[in-house]
Amino acid sequence: MSREDPPTNAVLSVRDLSVSFATRQGVVRAVDGLSFDVGAKEVLGIVGESGSGKSVAMYSMLGLVRDANVSISGSVRFEGREILGLSDTEMQSMRGGEVGMIFQDPMTALTPVYTVGWQIVEQLRAHSDMTKKAAYERATELLAEVGIPDPKSRVNHYPHEFSGGMRQRVVIAMALSCNPKLLIADEPTTALDVTTQAQILDLMGRLQATHGSSIVIITHDMGVIAEIAHRVVVMYAGRPAEIGPELDVVRSARHPYTWGLLGAVPRADIKTRRLVTIPGNAVSPLEVPTGCAFAPRCQYRMEICAQRPPLRGADDHLDACWLSDEQRLVIRSSATVRGES
Amino acid sequence: MSDDVLLRATDVVKSYSSRRRVKGLRSLNTAVNGVSLEVKRGETLGIVGESGCGKSTLARCLVQLLPVTSGHVEFNGVELTTLSRRQLRPHRRQMQLVFQDPYASLNPRRTVGDIVADPMRINKIGSDAEINARVRELFETVGLDPSALRRYPHEFSGGQRQRIGIARSLSLNPSLVVADEPVSALDVSVQAQVLNLMTDLQDEFKLTYLFIAHDLGVVRHVSDRVGVMYLGEIVELGEAELLYEKPLHPYTEALLSVVPELNDTDAPRRERIIISGDVPDPADRPTGCSFHPRCPAATDICTSEKPAFVELRPGRFVACHHPRNVDSIAPTS
Ligand SMILES: Nc1ncnc2c1ncn2[C@@H]1O[C@H](COP(=O)(O)OP(=O)(O)O)[C@@H](O)[C@H]1O
Ligand SMILES: Nc1ncnc2c1ncn2[C@@H]1O[C@H](COP(=O)(O)OP(=O)(O)O)[C@@H](O)[C@H]1O
Ligand code: SF4
Ligand code: SF4
Ligand SMILES: [Mg+2]
Ligand SMILES: [Mg+2]
Repeated sequence: MSREDPPTNAVLSVRDLSVSFATRQGVVRAVDGLSFDVGAKEVLGIVGESGSGKSVAMYSMLGLVRDANVSISGSVRFEGREILGLSDTEMQSMRGGEVGMIFQDPMTALTPVYTVGWQIVEQLRAHSDMTKKAAYERATELLAEVGIPDPKSRVNHYPHEFSGGMRQRVVIAMALSCNPKLLIADEPTTALDVTTQAQILDLMGRLQATHGSSIVIITHDMGVIAEIAHRVVVMYAGRPAEIGPELDVVRSARHPYTWGLLGAVPRADIKTRRLVTIPGNAVSPLEVPTGCAFAPRCQYRMEICAQRPPLRGADDHLDACWLSDEQRLVIRSSATVRGES
Repeated sequence: MSDDVLLRATDVVKSYSSRRRVKGLRSLNTAVNGVSLEVKRGETLGIVGESGCGKSTLARCLVQLLPVTSGHVEFNGVELTTLSRRQLRPHRRQMQLVFQDPYASLNPRRTVGDIVADPMRINKIGSDAEINARVRELFETVGLDPSALRRYPHEFSGGQRQRIGIARSLSLNPSLVVADEPVSALDVSVQAQVLNLMTDLQDEFKLTYLFIAHDLGVVRHVSDRVGVMYLGEIVELGEAELLYEKPLHPYTEALLSVVPELNDTDAPRRERIIISGDVPDPADRPTGCSFHPRCPAATDICTSEKPAFVELRPGRFVACHHPRNVDSIAPTS
């Protein structure tokens, strides 16, 4: 993929997105040079540990960062149209219409004082000229579609009368109500138990197939990525460390941070011996090194790592690391790195 | 009690009175509903289950932080449930807890050195100088710089705080460490550091662990044996590798089938069994088998008769009328 010319079928095209906050302690570079494309009907996963800038990236794209001290640069194109810097009203009509959103806490998207039916109806009527009656019927259909039992009566219930998993289904119904081209989901299953997570991932997969929406799913769990994403962006300290097709990244990861991330996961499917650890803690966003952000924790650090590595690679598998292919081969054939096949 | 058993729970029940009414009656939330288990010396017994299934309540009952509603807990051959507070004290020292939330479990107004020293001071173990030396040693043991002794908890990251909690739990040389979701709040790279540390400490100090978590991967990784909890009951218990490879209980089977996998080998993915619905209210427990409303293998008997928790194969316990994978497990070891 050429990073300059986004594929013409890209639904979302992000170039050099940077978001920083001026704080009393200094400048927080929450997102720093993020670029990726999401194709039609593609599921793109964004993975990283907490504080790596995943949520800020999503919120800034959608005009949801409300902080007066924020500065945002770069380009975000949705269906070819630049959306960074759209007015609040323009953004509002896009969100909940062509772009649906799902959050970690379903109550971010729901209001406790109205029935779920009322909330879906409002959303439908804000983005179409449906009659109230038609919108209620559609709301009931949507609840049925996301697997809520007895939708005819549940449509009149309040959010607190649903379990966490059922509430997340309601939010998904709402996000789908206007047949969005793009769904953005920020840790949609992180608060859920594994059986409920399975239900929600299954639902998202099925809906993606039937509605043909593209999905951006943000998560800290590589397993979730492997279950659902076609391609993945691995983020570290606000920067993309590696981007590629899911299977390539999981089986032949290229970036030392990705090696660490994969090797650190205790597995339920196979016996894991000693876990791979990444020394130290995540870098403070106030003190991201000017060179490679991962350098202070990287055991393969070289002199050149004091300069920032560009995101580069062959075909559609890119990484931001100075290691040569030969060096990677040698490292990956040693026993300390898992994550390759 | 045989010598290799450190802790034995028999039919432990813990009910909370619930403010809600179920079918018009003031109900009891039976958070732990008749749990029997043994923790062997030097092993790690993992307890896994989804949120609200009673893991924390069970842990607190076992270390006598909560009085049991009924049942027995023996530790080193001594029945604990009938002891007075004073009689309990020497036993409690032998059992230490590590908590999930490294933020809430450390007193923000005390230095981390004091936090680690307090259990020794309270139990009047050693002179001030001896305690100080021991604190420094504990800091080094858990991979913290002893020069940070005078700092406060908020100055540390989540992973470092969990190390402080572990250092505190080791200060009285316990034989049993009960860890309740000790790594659940940590990012995966830090989680790996803490898990490796716990493994090393177990070898070094011959610790016995009761390790509680909702993460099936974490539990497989640390445990010698695993108990699976559902709605306040242990539904299956057995040697970790065997249980994960050939689960007996339909709930265990379904749980394992839906853990997101990395697909980094060509081994076929387990067939996903998605169980529908939500966990029932423990104050309104289903008749018969508690899992029957969601169980893909349920038959009539499951709705009327509660399955007994039996040793179906050597070391493999299960409570189910129609256990899975039985034919592929040898009847004798
Ligand atoms: N309004 C803000 N002001 C200052 N810093 C912020 C603000 N919002 C987020 N950050 C910082 O930006 C970084 C990225 O945060 P976030 O995107 O929430 O991470 P993630 O979602 O990957 O866990 C964090 O270090 C966070 O503290
Ligand atoms: N102090 C308490 N008072 C009343 N109910 C409680 C209390 N603590 C836990 N419960 C209830 O007991 C059940 C088990 O909770 P808990 O032991 O915390 O489960 P877990 O640790 O597996 O998530 C839940 O239904 C919970 O709501
Ligand atoms: S660029 Fe250098 S420091 Fe950064 S990940 Fe690659 S080898 Fe490590
Ligand atoms: S006893 Fe019946 S309902 Fe319960 S787990 Fe076994 S098969 Fe399922
Ligand atoms: Mg986030
Ligand atoms: Mg708990």
